[in-house]
Parts: sequence; C-alpha cells; structure tokens
Amino acid sequence: MATYPQNFRFGEFVGSLIWLIFWILVIVTLVGLPLIFIILFYVPLPPVGGQVLTPYLFLTMVVDPSRTMPIIQHLMTTDLFRVAMFPGFTYAALIAAVTIFVERKFLAKMQLRVGPLYAGKIEGILQLIADGLKLIAKEIIIPSGADKPMFWAAPIMFVATAAAVVALIPAAQGYVVADVDVGLLAVFAILGFFPLIALLFSWASNSKYPFIGGLRALHQMIAFEIPFILSALSVVILSGTLNLTGIVESQIQSYWFIFFLPISAFVFYISSLAELERIPFDLPEAESEIVAGWLTETSGMIYGLLQLGSYVKTYALAALFVVLFLGGWAGPMVFPPQVQTPLINIAPLYDQQAANGTLWFTLKTFGVIMLMLLPRGISPRIRIDILLHTGWYKLIVLSFINIFVALALIYGNILGPGGLLVR
Amino acid sequence: MTSLEDKFEESKKLGLQIVRESEEDRLMTLSVGPQHPGSGHFRFTVKVDGDYIVYCDPDPGYVHRGEEKMCEYRNVIQNIPHLERPVIHDSSNITYSYSLAIEELAGIEVPRRGQYIRALASELNRQVYTLYWLAIYGIFLGHSTMFMWPTGDRELFIDLLEALTGARVTHAFNIPGGVRNDIPDGFKDWCIRQMRYFQKRLKEYEDIFYNMPLFRQRTEGVAVLSKEDAVKLGVAGSVLRASGVPYDIRKAEPYDIYNEIDFKVQYMKTGDCFARSYVPFLDMQESCHIIEQLLDKMPQSGEVRAKLQPNPKGPPGETYRRVESGRGALGYYIVSDGTPKPYRVKISVGSFRNMLALPYLLVGQKLADMPAVYWSLNYWPVEADR
Amino acid sequence: MEEIKKKFGELIKVVFVKPLRIKIQVEPRDIVEVATFLRDSMGFDHAESAGGTDYPKENQIEVIYHLGSYTREDLGAHILSLTARTSRDDARLPTLINVYKSVEYHERETFEMLGVYFEGHPRNERFLLPEDWADIPPLRKDFRIKGR
Repeated sequence: MATYPQNFRFGEFVGSLIWLIFWILVIVTLVGLPLIFIILFYVPLPPVGGQVLTPYLFLTMVVDPSRTMPIIQHLMTTDLFRVAMFPGFTYAALIAAVTIFVERKFLAKMQLRVGPLYAGKIEGILQLIADGLKLIAKEIIIPSGADKPMFWAAPIMFVATAAAVVALIPAAQGYVVADVDVGLLAVFAILGFFPLIALLFSWASNSKYPFIGGLRALHQMIAFEIPFILSALSVVILSGTLNLTGIVESQIQSYWFIFFLPISAFVFYISSLAELERIPFDLPEAESEIVAGWLTETSGMIYGLLQLGSYVKTYALAALFVVLFLGGWAGPMVFPPQVQTPLINIAPLYDQQAANGTLWFTLKTFGVIMLMLLPRGISPRIRIDILLHTGWYKLIVLSFINIFVALALIYGNILGPGGLLVR
Repeated sequence: MTSLEDKFEESKKLGLQIVRESEEDRLMTLSVGPQHPGSGHFRFTVKVDGDYIVYCDPDPGYVHRGEEKMCEYRNVIQNIPHLERPVIHDSSNITYSYSLAIEELAGIEVPRRGQYIRALASELNRQVYTLYWLAIYGIFLGHSTMFMWPTGDRELFIDLLEALTGARVTHAFNIPGGVRNDIPDGFKDWCIRQMRYFQKRLKEYEDIFYNMPLFRQRTEGVAVLSKEDAVKLGVAGSVLRASGVPYDIRKAEPYDIYNEIDFKVQYMKTGDCFARSYVPFLDMQESCHIIEQLLDKMPQSGEVRAKLQPNPKGPPGETYRRVESGRGALGYYIVSDGTPKPYRVKISVGSFRNMLALPYLLVGQKLADMPAVYWSLNYWPVEADR
Repeated sequence: MEEIKKKFGELIKVVFVKPLRIKIQVEPRDIVEVATFLRDSMGFDHAESAGGTDYPKENQIEVIYHLGSYTREDLGAHILSLTARTSRDDARLPTLINVYKSVEYHERETFEMLGVYFEGHPRNERFLLPEDWADIPPLRKDFRIKGR
C-alpha cells in the first residue's frame, strides 16, 4: 500500500520540535520534579557532611559534583544498583550486545567476508541498534488458532528466566544480585525451565514445523541437563559449598578447578553449547529442515526478545563456566591501591578489589564466550539421534570420571579444608 | 483368548465408542514447499511417522516456462539466450549440447580453436555450478562457513568467465558454429594462476568439510543407492558415478576435442550420501587438470567460429546429442524440417532423471536427513522444470 | 549391431542407422516386447529420456524413447531410439514403466504435454503444468503461444 509522504515544510518541522520541547517541559515540571521531591523526602539517605540531606541540599550538589560522591557510594551498596547496573541488567545487556556484534564480525572474518560494515562510521558498530530499531518497527504476525496468552508470554518468560540465571552469578567480591546459599542448585532449577518454555511456545504456534522444533528443543535440552549437573557436581565436591561466591573463594584459596577437572570443564562446555542451541546443536532451529524450528512463527519484537534472551543466556552460562572452573574474579592485582583523578575525585568510590575482580571476570567471561562462538564457523549441524546418543551415553560417562577424580582429591586430603594444595 | 477384533465388536455392542488408532493418525504430512529454506524452487510432500519419512511425492513445475515450446518459435540462433536460462550457472553446457546438435543437423564444421574455447568455457562453468552446489549443500547441513567459502571462490571463475565472454552467468557464448569471441590477452596466465590458488582452496575444503566427523556421521551410510538400482532408475551424473558406475560422456562418447585430453573418470563405490557429495569434489579437481591441458594444447591462432548464413538451416532430419554437464548427461533431441526454426526440441536433463531417486531414497530416512539426501542428488529444480 | 536387431523381428522398422545412433520404429502393441528384449539381451539398461513429437500433417504423434547403456562398455556411446506412432485423436500407448523404471516421470510429462495416455502407468496426472491448466496439451502444434 503506498502512502504519499507529505511535503516537507521547514516551518512545520520547527513547529513540531517546539511542540515536543513544550511537552517535555510540562511533564518534567508538573510530574517529574514533584516525584523527585517525594522520593527524596521518603527514601532514607545518608547524612552528608553532618547535614541532613534535604532536597535543597541535593539540588545544591548539582552545582558542586563532588558532594554527590557519598550518595553514589551509598547507592553502590544497595540492591537496586546490583540489579540494574552491575552485575545485573546493564552489565548483562551490554555484554550480550557486544557479543552479538563480535560474533558477526568474528564469524565473518573466519568466512572470508567482512560482516556488518555500513551501519555506523567504524566498521558497522551501530548495526545492533539498527537491527533493534528494525525489529521494533516490524509487524507482529500471530498465526490463526495460536494460543495467544502463551504466544505473548513465552518470549518474556524466556528473557526473564535468562535474567534470573544472571541474577545468581557473582561478578566480583560482594557483587551478586541474589546471594543464595544453594546458588548452584538454584541455577540448575531455573535452567530446567527453558525446555518448558520452548515446548509451550511451539505448541502455541499451532503449526507443524514449530511443533517438530519444539520437540527437538525439549529432547535436546533435557538430554544435556544431566551431564551439566554432573559436571558441576564435581566442582561442588571439591569446594564443599553450593554457594557460588563460596566456590570462587575456594578457588582463590587453592588453584583454579580447571586444572583438576579438565574433563568436567569440557563436558560443561559441550552441555552449555547444547543448552544455548548454538551450532553444532542448533537443531531446534535447523533452518534447512524445519524452517526455523520453534521460532518459525515469531516476527518483530517477539523474535528480538527471544534473541536477546538467547544471548543473555550465553553470557549467563559463560559466566557460570568462569565461576565454576576458571576462578571467577581471581587474578593478579593490576590496579593501584589509591587513585586520584584531577577534576572530580572519585577516590571514595574506588574499590581496588572490586575493580580488579570486575576486570578479570569480564576478560575471562569474554574469552569463554569467544570459545562458544568458535564452533559456529567450523562445524555443521548435528542430527538428533547422534545428539541424544552423545548426551545420554558419552557425556554422562565422561562426567563420572571427573567425579571420581574429585572424590579422590578430597579423600586424599589434597584439596578441601587443610589440604596440601590449599594456600 | 478373544482377539482384538472380537473385543472391538463386543464393545460396539455395549455402546461404547472406542476409537482405535489408525495408521493414518500417526502420520504427519509436511509440505517441503517452495517457501522453505531447504528446498529451492521445488516442492515435495513428505509424510512423517515420528521422525521417519514414510512417503515422499515430488511436485515440480514451479518454474516451468515451456522452453521446448518456445524453441519452435525462434530460429536456431535466437534460441540460445532463452535456452541457457534453465541453468544460469552452468549455461555453457546447456548451449554446448544444443550447438552440437544443430551443427550435426546443418552440417557445420567448427574450427579447432573454437572447439577448444568451447570446452574451456564448459569446464569453467562446470566448476561454477559445482561450487554453488557445494555451497548450498553446506548450508543445508548447517555449515555456514561451507556456504561462504565456495561462494567466494566461485568469484574467481566468474571473473574468468566475465573476461572471456562479457557476462557473469548467462553469457550466450556458444553458438552453432563455435563461440562468439576469441579469448583476451593474458587470459592464459591469469587462468593458470587461479587454478593453482583454487587447488589449494580445495585442500582446505577437504579439511573443514569432508573430514569433519560430524559431516561424516551424518552422511556415511545414509540413503545408499546400490549400483543396480542406480542403473535401473536411470540416474545421471555424479549420482551415478557415486554408486559405482564409471560413466562419463566425456570419456564414453567424446565430443569435440575431449578425445585429446587425458583425464580420469572419478567414481566411488559406496553410493551413500557421502559418496554423492564427494564425487563432485573429485570432479572439480579433475576439471582443474582438464583446464590446464586445454590451455596448453589450444592452437595458437585460428578462427573461432564458422561462417554462418543469417538463418542456418539444414536438410530435414533428427539428431540426439549429449554433453556431460554438472548434473549429468544433458541431451538434446532436435527434429528439423528444413526450415530455420526447429520443429521439435526435446531437452533431456540430468536433474529430471535424478528426481526419480528422491522418493525412492527418502522413504525410511529420518526427517533430519532430508536436506542432505535431497541435495546430494544434484538436483537443480529450475532445470528439471525447463 | 543391426544384424542382431534384424534377427529379432519383422515387427520393427529401422528408420535410420548412423554410427552411434539407431532409430527403430515399432507398432504400439509390440513396444513392451521389443523393449524387454532390448533390455535383457542387448544390454540397454536405462531409458535416458522419453518424449513425443506431434506430426499434425500425418495426424500422428510419435513417442520416442532414447535408450542407453551404462553397464556395457562397448555400448556406452550408443543411443537407440525406440519410437512408436499413434494417431492424434486417440493417443494411447502401453507404458514401459515395468521395463524401464526411469520413464515414470517422462511419461507423465508426455501425457500432460502431448495428451498421450499411457496404459498401465500408475499416475497419469499433472506434473509440470499448473493445477488449473484448462487448455489443450501445450506441445501440440495447434496450441499457439499467446501473441505469436
């Protein structure tokens, strides 16, 4: 359907801009400012320099930025910061976004081409924003006869579940959104929800190819959960705790677990590739056989949400790998104890341990993510019977080997409390 | 012990409606239609029981343009551009066969240099087609690198063809009587350099694709076509050679100057998917040798085209000539009645014959094998529809 | 080569003999017998193509099978064309599908393109033409392409 664009008039354009600014000013003064005042009245804030933090004092701090330091320092200890910024939503979304872009470039270089090039001045760096805008603007087509509540709820549940896994993973000492004593068990419980979402969504699509794809997703994810859990079990045996922060601390005390449990790490890596539906395990989405598998009927933002959830899950499982096997945030100290910045002194905000931990955690997670991206350029897709055979027979046997090694190390008093290798 | 039938009858008397599961309930009909990333311009209906295919019915005709009918309305030279459209990548071969048939009917003698250049274009086009086929085979199996690499390397040959003929794919280079133009200067050295580079690339294909354990697991032993069945079903080209029949028209019935070129017919005995995907690869290596020999043995100078009248015509008669194209024996049956327009042109393509093997091979395979088996039959949907 | 053909029968009429191409013509009712003999004794083990030509002047349709040999080395280059002529108004031929399995799709195509009914062929149906084709079979000479 063709629509005729209106002729561009400069006066109308300026008029529309002024209209926009007018509305922004109205909303900010009538709604925004009172909201800030209400918050500042009711939210407990720390006293600043011996004075109670009233809204007027707050507004004077806008003039002198160094006075906002204590507030930010206080904020960094709250839960809100952990959920929204680090290691929660912003951090995970940032890493997911960078992963998508890096994956496309990395894959392109392996395949003798260039990847995204035109969006953005430097080598297509704004490609992700372009893709996001495109997906938001697309029409969402729901097949007739589809189960509408499930159809709309499934992508949101997918992202929510992936975010829930992210919430359990510590990124630096003390920086974890939910410090649960049985953290590892909670991670596996949440991961068990993914096949259910896939199956329900494919059934709700009311179409044959998604149905086949959903069944394949179910088979694949369930088959690989057991080697997943068994390989993590060997880590739990060595560290003695299910708490993820505790696992990292026990690795800081001795050596990284990958040296003792290489086979478990390998099994964990393969299982996480299968959980993420990445090539070579992307049968639920096998393009040439079942169109797009259980994602066939998605379009527009539903597809965008599913892809985002998939990449957040990638970050989550890679971070889990780092926490379990690669020592979490442990690494040689590369940050100075104190730091002095010229204009705005961020010395009160600076925490040497946290910065070092964050750096090493990010580097290691990124390394593991690159390792997960690598098979995409190398191998074809596996077939369902080979996959099930691998998951149920070979990987379980392999993971048992390392359980025995871990038990031997504990009972031989090499690791564990008072062990030989414990520093 | 009453049987199930008796119990069923009893229950009906009691008024209970017990519905027995019939065979048909278990089957799910899938239409691997043209709107499918795994099928091309072709549709086949597949009935699936769980994960196993029990029935397959091909349904071509989505790209049928009536080539044979159109040929009767144009004279023999005007037929060349639309006749090469069925296979745009392999366009030299499909017009090569046509030119041979017309030359036989009209009694035209082609000069030797023209014959060499024709064979050169045919070999280059065969490489282009086989690389494209290999690329799509890779993506059907989910191997995206194997899609990008052959498509990129294909550009080498397309550049060569562009320098030779002026167009990238459908170049209308062969005409009855020879070729249109001579080869440009510097072509020979450039071509030999590309062949050397390409042979190195072929080694890399083998490493990443043919020696990859996942690929081997997926294709070895799958959909075996035995030698007797291959002959009985009349399949052609690489499918036939993969089942153990060393039949290549360039050796069996050498046309033009192929009896002066020394090459081996590559064949494998196993007849499974892996053999069918490996034989074109071996063919590509042989083609490289053939191209080098052609460039060496070409006469240095001479005419490339016979002098023709504007409307070539010959005495009434009929002829059947064939050429080995990327897919198999491509034959033309032309009936002429003495006028410049052919009376009847029948094109016999390898893809149409290979299509017969599809329902025969797919029954009993898993659904996941479907793209591997379907594409390994070297089937080009546009050509089969003509 | 052709003496062995003469040994077989009086039923066949040799149209021409060229170095690698032989064309023989048989009556429709004898075609299955001749084809079986060619396959079993002569070694022509597959039909490379099967098509038809329309001759409106003689009011006949000629169906031609090109037979080739994959297994016999000496016959690898030969193509034997086996033809049969039937009248245009009621074109029927016995099918060769039991002799040469490879003609299944070719005969279906000839049915829809020329209107020749093959008796014994399991599916004489639309193959390449669209499902809503309502015209005469296109390869007949009285079918004119629109605009020409």
